[in-house]
Amino acid sequence: MQPNSEPVLHLEQPAIEVHQLRKTYAGDVEAVKGIDFRVAPGEVFGLLGPNGAGKSTTIGMLTTTIVPTGGSARVAGFDVVSEPLAARAVSSVVFQDAVVDRALTGRRNLDIHARLWGIDPAAARARTSELADTLALGDLLDRPVASYSGGERRRLEIARALVSQPEVLFLDEPTVGLDPRIRHELLEVIGRLRDRTRITILLTTHYLDEAERLCDRIAIIHSGRIVALDAPSVLLAGLGHELVELRVSGDAETALASLRGRGIAGDDAFTVGSTLTVPLHDRTAGSAIAAIQDADLAASSISTRRPTLDDVYLQLTGARLADAA
Amino acid sequence: MTDTAISHGAILPRRRVARNPLAPLATLAARRFQLSVRTPRELVVPLLTPILFALVIAPALKEALHTGAGYEALVATGTIGLLIPLNTMFAGLSVIVDRETGAQRELLAAPIPRPLLVLGNLVVAFAITALQVAVLIAAALARGIDFNASGTGIVWFLAATTLFTIGMYGAAETLASRVPKSEEYIARLPAIAIVPWFLAGSLFPITALPAVLTWVAKVLPLTHGLALVRYGLLGDRSGLNNIWNMHSTTLMATLSLAVLAAFAAALTAISIRAFNRSAVG
Repeated sequence: MQPNSEPVLHLEQPAIEVHQLRKTYAGDVEAVKGIDFRVAPGEVFGLLGPNGAGKSTTIGMLTTTIVPTGGSARVAGFDVVSEPLAARAVSSVVFQDAVVDRALTGRRNLDIHARLWGIDPAAARARTSELADTLALGDLLDRPVASYSGGERRRLEIARALVSQPEVLFLDEPTVGLDPRIRHELLEVIGRLRDRTRITILLTTHYLDEAERLCDRIAIIHSGRIVALDAPSVLLAGLGHELVELRVSGDAETALASLRGRGIAGDDAFTVGSTLTVPLHDRTAGSAIAAIQDADLAASSISTRRPTLDDVYLQLTGARLADAA
Repeated sequence: MTDTAISHGAILPRRRVARNPLAPLATLAARRFQLSVRTPRELVVPLLTPILFALVIAPALKEALHTGAGYEALVATGTIGLLIPLNTMFAGLSVIVDRETGAQRELLAAPIPRPLLVLGNLVVAFAITALQVAVLIAAALARGIDFNASGTGIVWFLAATTLFTIGMYGAAETLASRVPKSEEYIARLPAIAIVPWFLAGSLFPITALPAVLTWVAKVLPLTHGLALVRYGLLGDRSGLNNIWNMHSTTLMATLSLAVLAAFAAALTAISIRAFNRSAVG
């Protein structure tokens, strides 16, 4: 697992190709610091990171609403800087917050999208009908969007993005701000898209479960850099099958150094506040706990659990994802 | 939600962008029109101002100032100089609404040249303004205000109001792109839409102003617009003469029209640039 070095994809042409992409805002604010990744056609690729990590800026550059200050990016083979219209023609985006004409009906919102993307009206009507059925929008489409609930509006926005049958779909924090039930529904919709279509999806999220459930591969992005990129299972496997978590009353860094000195903890162990997390790898939980107790660290609690993507993120960045978000 | 599969794949050909730009422009204009005029009330209420001016204020001023029918016509045409800036500036508010709570980012992600977003708004602002001006003139005629317009005069009138409306909408779109909030936009609106009206010869000749303000008035596009409107609708060349002081009326009218054309072209270009700069990071 190395930053900015992804597994080789055997592709003729990636659906998304990003090379040393960089964005520096006024005041020398570096939002994206030269990232590389490629997304295969039909792949669901996640950008996982906290707010301010550079996820939305990356999507902005790929959808040509933010101009890169360096590097290059291609969407379905089209350069986002030199061929922006072509890149936009083959993609759609669902934004983090509601971006919709509330005064118009849902159907009219879909119709405007279809017309602007140059879809034949008859094909657009058929597509709208199909999507209304699939996304349970049939009874809503002829109502003004202002009367929709948050979940209904988000389903409409997903339907709108799909009307033009994009090759690449960008989902920017698609479930943020939604209640758990609606969020669950939307994850099902996106999961169905992933399972039953050939569409390429790039989604950003700071929800670990979302990334793990939906994405074929994940890039963990932190402070504008990709710090890890791989399949969720591979990222998790890097920490082994189990880890020990202990809380100490003294200095956690000193305690960690002690565990490393005794060969109990490896380089991938880490601390957050007073908590030490020690991947076990080949060691059994029982022997590790016994060794920790022998080390006399004044641990107030010791437990074992399976690693999560939060641990991966924590180990790479030193910050808990939920806290950072 | 049903369990229907979401079809996707090689149904549509891979799209390259080589479409007639009028098609997306028509879509954008239709969208803006729907958002601007959602109910008949939204179309009728703005018409009250021109009707009030033509039917009540112009005749009242004539009575109060003991002037003749000429002054009534002067005020009625002067009202056009208030209607156009107010309409276009209020139309500019929709840009901020689009940006704050509307679908602007969706439109920015569409495979269309982004200047079309500005031009689509312009088409609707122009159409609604034209309707208001037409109602004003119709109401003035109904009230018995006498216009003395020839065919050529109507062409001067149409050219002047068209170019002035385009330029003023450019100013509105530029301001909307540069201020972050609608509150700030509204705070600046009177300085752009109303103050020039008092200086541009709407209610009295610009030569009645102090000398410095007369020169200020001469560079205001509205002054040229009103002078052309009065020349076109009333056959009155005094406005043009107050600006240019030349013998040839046609030359003066042409020069004023050139000023308006430059105003329209410059403000449209500036508005597109301002929109791009504010919308694309």
